[in-house]
Amino acid sequence: MPLRENQEKSIMDKKVTDISGKIIETAAVTDTTVPVNENQEKDSNYWRSFRELYNDPDFIREKKNEFMPGALDRPDENSFSKFSRRKFLALLSASAAVAASGCSNFRDKGEIIPYNKKPESVTIGNPNYYASTCTGCQYACGILIKTLEGRPIKVDGNPDHPVSKGKICAIGQASVMNLYDPERLKNPSERINNAGGNDITWAAADDKIIAQLKNAASSGKEIVIITNTINSPSQKKLLTEDFKRAYPTAKVYSFELFSDANKNSAFEKCYGVKTFPLVQLDKANVILALESDFLGNEGNKVENSRLYSQRRDAFNGEEFNRLYSVEGNASITGMNADYRMILRTDAIEEFVYCLLNEFISKQKVSALSADAGVTGKLQNYNLNGFIEKNNLSKETVAHLIDDLKKNQGSSFVTAGSMLPESTHIAVNLLNEVLGNNKLYIKDVSTVEQIPLSSKSELENLISDMQSGKVGAVIHFDSNPVYNLPGDYGYADALSKVPLVISLTETINESSDKSNFVLPVNSMFESWGDFQTRNNFYSLQQPVIAPLYNTRQKEEILLTWSKGTKDAFNNEIYQKYVMDNWKAGALQGAGSDADFMKKWYAALNDGVVSSKTVSSAGENSPSSFKSEALISNNSKLTQSNETVLILLKSSSLGDGRFANNGWLQELPKPLSRIVWDNYAAISVQTAKALSLKSNDIIKVTTSAGSIEVPVFIQPGTAEGVIAVELGYGRNVCGIVGKDVGVNANKMMSKNSKVTQWMFNDAKIEKTGSTYELVSTQEHFAFDEPLLKDIQYRREIIQEGTYLQYKENPDFLTAHKTKYSEEETEKLKVGSINEQYVHTGTKWGMVIDLNKCTGCNECAAACNVENNIPIVGKDQVKANREMHWIRIDRYYSGTPEVPKTSFQPMLCQHCDFAPCENVCPVKATTHSEDGLNGMAYNRCVGTRYCSNNCPYKVRRFNYFNFRDRFRDSIQKEESFSLMANPEVTVRSRGVMEKCTFCIQRIMEERQMAIQENREIKGSNIKTACQEACNTSAIHFGDQNDKEAEFYKLNNSKLGYTVLEEIKVKPNVTYLAKLRNVLEIEKTEEHH
Amino acid sequence: MKNFLLDYNLKVRLPILIFVVLTVFVVTYYASYAERNGVGYTPAQPILYSHKLHAGDLKIDCRYCHSDVDKSRHANVPSAKVCMNCHSIARKDKPEIIKLTDYYTRGVPIEWKRVHKVPEFAYFNHSVHVNKGIDCSNCHGNIAEMEVVEQVKDFSMRACLDCHRNPAVNIKNIIPGKENLKINNGPQNCSACHR
Repeated sequence: MPLRENQEKSIMDKKVTDISGKIIETAAVTDTTVPVNENQEKDSNYWRSFRELYNDPDFIREKKNEFMPGALDRPDENSFSKFSRRKFLALLSASAAVAASGCSNFRDKGEIIPYNKKPESVTIGNPNYYASTCTGCQYACGILIKTLEGRPIKVDGNPDHPVSKGKICAIGQASVMNLYDPERLKNPSERINNAGGNDITWAAADDKIIAQLKNAASSGKEIVIITNTINSPSQKKLLTEDFKRAYPTAKVYSFELFSDANKNSAFEKCYGVKTFPLVQLDKANVILALESDFLGNEGNKVENSRLYSQRRDAFNGEEFNRLYSVEGNASITGMNADYRMILRTDAIEEFVYCLLNEFISKQKVSALSADAGVTGKLQNYNLNGFIEKNNLSKETVAHLIDDLKKNQGSSFVTAGSMLPESTHIAVNLLNEVLGNNKLYIKDVSTVEQIPLSSKSELENLISDMQSGKVGAVIHFDSNPVYNLPGDYGYADALSKVPLVISLTETINESSDKSNFVLPVNSMFESWGDFQTRNNFYSLQQPVIAPLYNTRQKEEILLTWSKGTKDAFNNEIYQKYVMDNWKAGALQGAGSDADFMKKWYAALNDGVVSSKTVSSAGENSPSSFKSEALISNNSKLTQSNETVLILLKSSSLGDGRFANNGWLQELPKPLSRIVWDNYAAISVQTAKALSLKSNDIIKVTTSAGSIEVPVFIQPGTAEGVIAVELGYGRNVCGIVGKDVGVNANKMMSKNSKVTQWMFNDAKIEKTGSTYELVSTQEHFAFDEPLLKDIQYRREIIQEGTYLQYKENPDFLTAHKTKYSEEETEKLKVGSINEQYVHTGTKWGMVIDLNKCTGCNECAAACNVENNIPIVGKDQVKANREMHWIRIDRYYSGTPEVPKTSFQPMLCQHCDFAPCENVCPVKATTHSEDGLNGMAYNRCVGTRYCSNNCPYKVRRFNYFNFRDRFRDSIQKEESFSLMANPEVTVRSRGVMEKCTFCIQRIMEERQMAIQENREIKGSNIKTACQEACNTSAIHFGDQNDKEAEFYKLNNSKLGYTVLEEIKVKPNVTYLAKLRNVLEIEKTEEHH
Repeated sequence: MKNFLLDYNLKVRLPILIFVVLTVFVVTYYASYAERNGVGYTPAQPILYSHKLHAGDLKIDCRYCHSDVDKSRHANVPSAKVCMNCHSIARKDKPEIIKLTDYYTRGVPIEWKRVHKVPEFAYFNHSVHVNKGIDCSNCHGNIAEMEVVEQVKDFSMRACLDCHRNPAVNIKNIIPGKENLKINNGPQNCSACHR
């Protein structure tokens, strides 16, 4: 056996080492007569046995061999047992299997852990709703928070709230994610010498801070509190009274990234009233929006949308309003307008003057035409010349003038809040001249608790900080380092302040520069009161105990103002608010018991109307002061340079919610871009500079420069670029960090126009590119196959309001009418089972007259249905998971597009093509007309998605929760956020809109409990509940009594892709444009 | 020799093997059927609570403790407070009641072992069944006879569908006083339970 010999040899040739690691053997085995190793002598200190110590020759010989003699001899095979090892193992496992099959053990099903003492109001499985107030922005909408077993899982509007009336915006919808954000700060921390924060206790933080504040106050140094808008009476009292009493040098500064400051100051100049009044927008027959996105990101969008859409209802008996829009940036308001004129933003003021001249001097519609001062001021403005110069449509301007003149007193002109005071003064006069001041609401007005700090106040603050007059700065849940225009030099000045304290929920740019970072409660964990208007108060109440070691920001200041850390307790601010209400909102409540009754009633409703309207005279505007116009020095004049406008982000607001992935992934209404901001430029500008979308340009203004990717936005005016603010947060959680470009640094306090607008911008192409990702492809306008496909395939069906009034059947008139016999013949045999839906049959109606394309529905759907965030890279691969999307179609030319919006979701087709192709019957039809999806049955073939004509099915290519940003969505706190009534889908399954089946089932449960029929009008889908304009309706198509039945069978109704005969159950109501001409697109009908 | 070996393997060994495998599979399948569906599962509970005593001998209505069963999707397990309604006075000296009182006074919830469970992807609703007059015992068996609660019925989808398809035959017990309610066939579409 030569092989074996070789093996042995090779083993023995190996070097052998002793314990000390020294080589003691290198010689070949065959040499048995080896002399005594010389090393052996030297190493005699180490020996294993006496034989070794005395160098016994036998031992040395043995040591040469690895094995003792005989160890390598082959064993005698006959001595082995006949029972082989293999057999032994087989028997062993067989007997183990037999033994195991005899065992009986059940799968553990876990525990049921009931309450120890169940609160009376809780029924496990049934939601509780609490009225509260949203603090996402300065408008403080009323909200209803849905909690299940103590966990807030959904936020919707409070129907009793007089302003928001049951609706809220996307930020409010997505706010539950802010509560459960795993990156919220969990403990107070102290930063020493700019090193990272050390967690400290609240007691230690309070002690240190109170001592330092007392020190600062006694040495006469200013203690600065920087806040966003203060709209809470109790906050105001706390900051300006209690805190100031304890620390007399305290001063409050407030700022807002976007505000109506210019509008308000213009109104003050014109009428002597500090704030712009509220407007009865629903009474306006004609609305002219000048660079104003009142349906999108400007002002109280929720209220504006509601008022506007009340006059866009074909069934409520009111005439349609007509919306004119004149703008440079393509906004949703503009894209919803009946007439949209494209005009450079810096020419808007001149346009207003031209209109004034037309009405005052030429048409003499106002007494002011006798005022030589006014006419003198206006004489140089010539409307016709302006139309020529700016290439406006003569007919449209003529319509506008005609409409405004005809509707004096019932029209309204509104200008964007980014425009300067001088423009607003001119607009105020225009409204005055047209008698539109009738629409100003006299008895109700906006309340400013603490007015926003003016530019000079902030400048003084900065110089005081620089010169060391400021002893402490407290960021009261504000982020001035990021939000203030860069040229204030705030960050630099902050480094001169010895004590900087940030009260914040998450890290931000300002907390990064603070000595103390104190985590505060989210709005779901806080008490509060708000008064945004003088006719009501609203309350905020906690719906969950603080998740982490946080305190409410008001509690912190209240403790400090008591001067000792021992003053703190969990109810300190609740008591404070209640005491304030005793003297304020609920004054005259009588005894304590009566007060408590009223207090609980207020908590239940969320709002209380206030009887004491603060001195009516102060708020009602006096007559127009024409000197305001005469002395009005135009700030906004047309330049030869590019106009840069900085906009509020449509979903992120001022950037404070950058770490909310739902908001980041919500597409922008027009561009459908997610996870980025960009410079929107016009087609012409792009051509002139040979720019393509995704090219990075450098925008330079007097305030500085930024590099930002370009997006060619159809409908933008030539020479206008628009960039959204709120992006580019660099101190932020993992989700929002470095998303987009920080355009805030382009804002300037010294801008020639306003903080948000420049007309001296220059664009340079940098040559580099950056990929923007959008959820909707932008096909070429001139592509013959695709041009106006939405009309040719009747996906979008439109008409004009006049057409509809003349002939309500106009939409169906062009279609060939078949007799019953013919219809029978035309019937295509279906491979589906023919369902007969005799009972309930669910359906949806979407009124395209009301839909503004704002995306609120998608935001609500995300929260209700546990939709994961997938991240930019997956959106790029068309893998976004939104169950409802807004399809935006352009027609016309890229320069002057006409836009149509259409929410698209699962159509729950009667003959659903997806159902035929599913090999495992995971998607099936129910008797009540739903196209259901059984996730646990789905094997992920994606055939259904392939066969869906509407492309509304979404596939889980990954476990997106696991994949996105270090699996942040798998954090425990996020799992608390999930709606337990909806399955959290995993990788490999298809999903889609279910018509909120969980809400249908809830109604079914109620119906059975109450022993009645199930009623469609009791069900509201999440998108319907959220829709600001109430464009979405849901109900039972077979319930002839219901309001829904009328809408569903309305003459404006149509279904998408009717010709493929899948019989969708979502009916769209055709959009009626309130224009005077019959549009060209009607040819297609 | 070789031929013989092949023949032996094919003719004798293979059939035997197939027979053994099939028999084992079939026997195991049926023998373990109940176990796989949890039938017979009788976990030990943290407190030796007797349904037989309370629901059987004392005739306390199920809904005294499982009070939300007709209001909600879930039939709640009562909080310790509910037990204390009686046991703050009754049988205070018994060891199990001392245990209960201890849980209650410490404010610690009692971790009852779960006996009945439908999978997470099925959304069963107690309220709609109970309000239609379907008695608890149809699914949970005669709890009033059980010292320790045991699962006696199959909780598989087949068991659900048997009733939904043929309630007249399969629903044996109706809640007294609700006999007049008409029980139709239950919904058999997927989205009735899966969403």
